[in-house]
Amino acid sequence: MILRPSSDDLKLIGWGIGRVILGIGLIMIVPLAVAIASTEWNTILDFLVGITACVTFWLIMENTCRVKKDLTWFHGMIVASAGWLIAMMFGAIPHFLSGHFKAYLDACFDLMSGYTTTGLIMLQDLDHVSHGLNMWRHLLTYAGGQGIIVIALTFLFAGTAGAFKIYVSEGKEEQLLPNVVRTARAIWMISLTYLVVGSLFLWVGMFIEGMPAGRGFLHSVWLFMGAWSTGGFAPQNLNLLYYHSLIIEIITLIIFVIGSFNFALHYSVWTGKRSEIWKNIEVRSFTITSLIATFMLAIGFSKMGLYTTLTEFFRKGYYNLISGHTTTGNSTVYATSFYKEFGFIAMWAITLAMWIGASACSTGGGFKGLRMGIVTKSLWGDIKGLVSPESAVIREKIHHVRDIWLDDALVKGTMLVIISYVAIYAVGGLLGTIYGYSPSVAFFDAASAGSNTGLSAGLATPLMPTLLKVYYIFEMWAGRLEFMSVFALFGLFIALVRGRGKGRKR
Amino acid sequence: MKRYPLLLISLVIATAFLSLAIVYDRAEADTRIPIKDLIENMKKYDGQTVTIGGEAIGDLMVRGTHTWFTVDDDPYSNKSIEAGGQLVGMSNMSMSVWAEKIDSEDIKILGGYKNKGDRVMVTGVFNRACHEHGGDTDIHAFSVEVIRPGYPFSHHFQYGKLLAVLILGALIIFLWDLRRSRIKKAIREG
Repeated sequence: MILRPSSDDLKLIGWGIGRVILGIGLIMIVPLAVAIASTEWNTILDFLVGITACVTFWLIMENTCRVKKDLTWFHGMIVASAGWLIAMMFGAIPHFLSGHFKAYLDACFDLMSGYTTTGLIMLQDLDHVSHGLNMWRHLLTYAGGQGIIVIALTFLFAGTAGAFKIYVSEGKEEQLLPNVVRTARAIWMISLTYLVVGSLFLWVGMFIEGMPAGRGFLHSVWLFMGAWSTGGFAPQNLNLLYYHSLIIEIITLIIFVIGSFNFALHYSVWTGKRSEIWKNIEVRSFTITSLIATFMLAIGFSKMGLYTTLTEFFRKGYYNLISGHTTTGNSTVYATSFYKEFGFIAMWAITLAMWIGASACSTGGGFKGLRMGIVTKSLWGDIKGLVSPESAVIREKIHHVRDIWLDDALVKGTMLVIISYVAIYAVGGLLGTIYGYSPSVAFFDAASAGSNTGLSAGLATPLMPTLLKVYYIFEMWAGRLEFMSVFALFGLFIALVRGRGKGRKR
Repeated sequence: MKRYPLLLISLVIATAFLSLAIVYDRAEADTRIPIKDLIENMKKYDGQTVTIGGEAIGDLMVRGTHTWFTVDDDPYSNKSIEAGGQLVGMSNMSMSVWAEKIDSEDIKILGGYKNKGDRVMVTGVFNRACHEHGGDTDIHAFSVEVIRPGYPFSHHFQYGKLLAVLILGALIIFLWDLRRSRIKKAIREG
């Protein structure tokens, strides 16, 4: 029997979402400060409207939804999934007010793309965008990479016993420390340390490559945020091609590879367990899949014969491949180059790499290396079972921070998530094909949205059909939250319509 | 009556200038290749001498004796959104130019949020995958000409947004007071 949520359930969800939106408003203070420092008066007003709207929403929720109960798993999942959607709507206010978007839907698209660290954009005339808005674009992808729920947990849910439930519902299962709020703070500490170090390296690189110091500093911070969060945003329309710099490409490559690793792995290394790097299933999985994809890429490039030197292979092929594999989306070529210059094999090497994606509990998207490892090991176990005596009991384990024995429930859950990813990629690809785009382009961009990558072969533009924009927003959102919270939100709607009784038991 | 010849002469001069300007613009339009064409037909133009015209945007990145700069020739390069231009449903169309430092020194204003960049005409060799620059798509320029200087945009202050901030601010004060009263009441009631 499906139970209809009580008004207390809905109030509790509303209260949680209010806190998430307050978090979004607080983050907007940073771009506001940048706009003030750059004397961009209209941009200042855009952010003031955004901040006051967020605070107003939070206060309305505080006054109307306060109940003396703690969050259950169900509430946590709804706060995460609905919280992301509402955070998108509020975060889109400064975007839309900037005048660079054809419609509010386009602004929402860019927000979801930023939060989910995808990197596809609908923004028009990027080369004339203010510093304040550029800071917001990059900051929201940096914040989204850690998880906007993690932000809320860090500052706004302290002392809430149900905090763990919304933390897990955002697609993060690792608990680095016994307390989930301390875990969230540890994630922030790791990210902020890398922000300082990475930006400094990039700034030096920018300086060597002839960028003026002031703009070079801003560009280095923005590029770091885009790369570390595996969002792939850049302040200029040409993305990484703008800089024509091997140094900056190498630094960003290192940043997005490190950013794509699991926070638990970072924490293990930070706390002295360096051997974890070599033993971890995700590192092994990433190494193997990137080697296979690189091999495919080399075959594709040798057939096309355009990029002929090792440097060209690295800068145009390998860079974009690893950018796709880590679901970053930083690019050193024009969007059209993927299907006109790369050829079929190289383009599909990148598409498949995007499908697989980065690590679980990282800033990246896709199936995740952990799941690839689980499925491969499980398959290997089945093969071993077939050639072993019937009485033999075959069990496989993986190493991810600790040894984990594989069982049917784990493998089933993993397969469900992988099938869900394949389904959203396939539906997106088919939709694009129905709208008349070439299948390679349609499947490339659909995989890019669903895996939160952000590389585009030219479909994802402000001129794409509205239905595709809405579907891509759904893909980015569902892919980032890894489906369970999204299923829970659909469950809430079903329960509201068809449920019975006075409310859920806690 | 004496005024008429003077008016006539002025009119003739003005018409002559206008015609020259139109011919000049048409000449620019006829010889230059849109960047969109270059990007979509890289194979066709690879290794060819081409001329592009547009707004110099972003930064001048000096590398020894040469400089990298970027040229936009989309509708926003004529009238940016920041200057009240229309949204045309596309992002920017840009091309990177590798020019001798001395040739790019005439570029004084680069396009961005606050400025409309200098309008330049660049002639050079288009490279689909430049072997000198790690496979980058670029133009190696042998002529860079500033045909119209850039200027700062004047952003009009948007009073509507200020009004929205004031209304929302007043609402926040009211809601905050309500929240404080509710908390006080809850404390009183234990």
